[in-house]
Amino acid sequence: MTRVLAALAVAIGVLASSPVRAHEGHGKAKAQVTTGAPLYEPPQPGTYDLPAIRRVSEHRLVGTDGKRAPILGLAPGRAAVVSFIYTNCSDAAGCPLSLAVMQRLDATLAARSDLARRVRLVTVSFDPARDTPARMKELRGSLGPKGDWRFFTAPDDPALAPVLLDFGQDAAPLVTKDGKETRAIGHVLKVFLVDGRGDVRNIYSTGLLDERLLLNDLLTVLR
Amino acid sequence: MNPIRFLLRLSLFCLLSVNPALADETCQSPYLPKITGQEDFIYVWTLGVEGLGDGSDKLVTVGANPAHSDYGKVVSSVSVVGRHEAHHAGFTDDRRYLWAGGLDDNVIYVFDVATDPAKPKVVRTIRDFATSSGGVAGPHTFYALPGRMLITGLSNTKDGGGRTGIVEYSNDGKFVRTNWMPDKAPYGYDARVNADLNRMLTSSFTGHKNYMRSLPDLMKDPAAMKNFGNTMVLWDFHARKPLQTFDVPGAPLEIRWALQPRNHYAFTAAALTGKLWGVFRKDDGTFEAVDLGPVGDPASPPLPVDISLSADDRFLFVDSFMDGKVRVYDVSNPRKPRQVHERQIGKQVNMVSQSWDGKRVYFTSSLLANWDKTGADDEQFLKAFAWNGTTLTPAFAIDFTKEKLGRPHIMDLGLARPQVARSRTMRSSARVDAASP
Repeated sequence: MTRVLAALAVAIGVLASSPVRAHEGHGKAKAQVTTGAPLYEPPQPGTYDLPAIRRVSEHRLVGTDGKRAPILGLAPGRAAVVSFIYTNCSDAAGCPLSLAVMQRLDATLAARSDLARRVRLVTVSFDPARDTPARMKELRGSLGPKGDWRFFTAPDDPALAPVLLDFGQDAAPLVTKDGKETRAIGHVLKVFLVDGRGDVRNIYSTGLLDERLLLNDLLTVLR
Repeated sequence: MNPIRFLLRLSLFCLLSVNPALADETCQSPYLPKITGQEDFIYVWTLGVEGLGDGSDKLVTVGANPAHSDYGKVVSSVSVVGRHEAHHAGFTDDRRYLWAGGLDDNVIYVFDVATDPAKPKVVRTIRDFATSSGGVAGPHTFYALPGRMLITGLSNTKDGGGRTGIVEYSNDGKFVRTNWMPDKAPYGYDARVNADLNRMLTSSFTGHKNYMRSLPDLMKDPAAMKNFGNTMVLWDFHARKPLQTFDVPGAPLEIRWALQPRNHYAFTAAALTGKLWGVFRKDDGTFEAVDLGPVGDPASPPLPVDISLSADDRFLFVDSFMDGKVRVYDVSNPRKPRQVHERQIGKQVNMVSQSWDGKRVYFTSSLLANWDKTGADDEQFLKAFAWNGTTLTPAFAIDFTKEKLGRPHIMDLGLARPQVARSRTMRSSARVDAASP
């Protein structure tokens, strides 16, 4: 496993058991990492609506075996949860958080016979230059999916662009003050719940990226 | 990198994430990318004035970086055709677009502020707000959600009264849904989300028939003056379900959640009764609304309008329209605000915005076209001040009448170049990776 992926795996491991929270006292900065319990109970499945936000198409990207394949597997009665990440992301509350939530959701889904075969988890890299199929395979190996969790990348940026545009996922290299590109990629953390018709039924970002909400939303959509 | 080194880096990130010197503006949606450090522009959504310049509503871009030659000057101005009662505006979650609404005719303009941040351009006009929403009118707060824009209404098209709803659009301008305000609390105004708590608070104002009427005329009409909201509503945000309704008499307007992750409360100001209110989470998870006392002289309420809370939850800036003053409260003890500063900003003042580091505070003058003062008291300005924790010191001012621009209302901060940097916001829900180029 590469050093980058090792770091990512450690971050995911940390996040999987202890959400990072910061606290500051008045006047003086003071860092603190807590393991506070969630401060709300998710609403029960089926008690709320999730109207379609946008419709996305099926896209074919490159899987960990190097072959192109449809990423969503759209079909009636099915759903997909799609996250966009890049493995160089060093922001503990960014891509590692997304992967940690997906990992917990994967374990939950795998244990539920009513959902395991109806939900696909999808992780797509928006850094195709560095996140090769081999690297995504390493990432997959480090996460050890228990259910239908697939990992994709693209041959190059132009091949990925239509996917990002379709989902409304921003991603652009960060630049230094003198305009040089860095390896870091600016993006807003988003995870998408897509139903069998291709309708995006919810979009999650930091704060409400909670596997309990994702599970209840899946149950709501698949009712 | 070995795991120990990585954890050290993670700890360093956490340290950086709470350093207020690396912060940015407050009061925005927790889902927005944040500007770290010095802002370059102030986008001012401005009401057109008949006979002044082109007379149309416009988005005015003002230079805000003292290191740049355009500091304190109007950089650009892009007009929309006509006057729509320009009022509030808000960025999409990727901060590439600014949605700006008209309270009178429900038109929404979407400005591209990413391609050339110095010269925003209208890229979309949404004219179906009232029809698609099922009759919600008066688009007020524009609040970024992931991939969507949440828009509160002030009124409805059926009777022009205060019954209204909360509308959502996708970022690409398609209607998603409407949630009407509950029957027992039908009025609307602001909406703010605390994602860590999965709670949303909404406040209440009045309908089109009142806010488009001249203020002196309105105040002489006792029947009309009864048609103002006296409630706030707490929602299960994820489910969009109302949970609690609070009696907050006198039109509670802007809502500001505390920004520190363990501070589970919000502030508002009730305009007509001239009071500060707090909404506090109790141990059982429910909330209570608490009267925190008067703003200014209770015998002559000064109409507190906008408020702004510093990133460390210490200072609350309160603008009051009638006396043109800002009062700064130390809210370290949120249940006992203590006024620590007061300053005359102008003959009238409405909006207040501050940078995240709290060092720069901006004010604009206009409330509503027909509520602004008249004659010599009708000052229309953007004024910038420095705040050192005890005193406001003038930095620059722009006379919007002299510049033939109009009545300046809401201010949103922007960057000049595709600078992207890691967010260092406090609340986990406020954390985002970067401002996109």
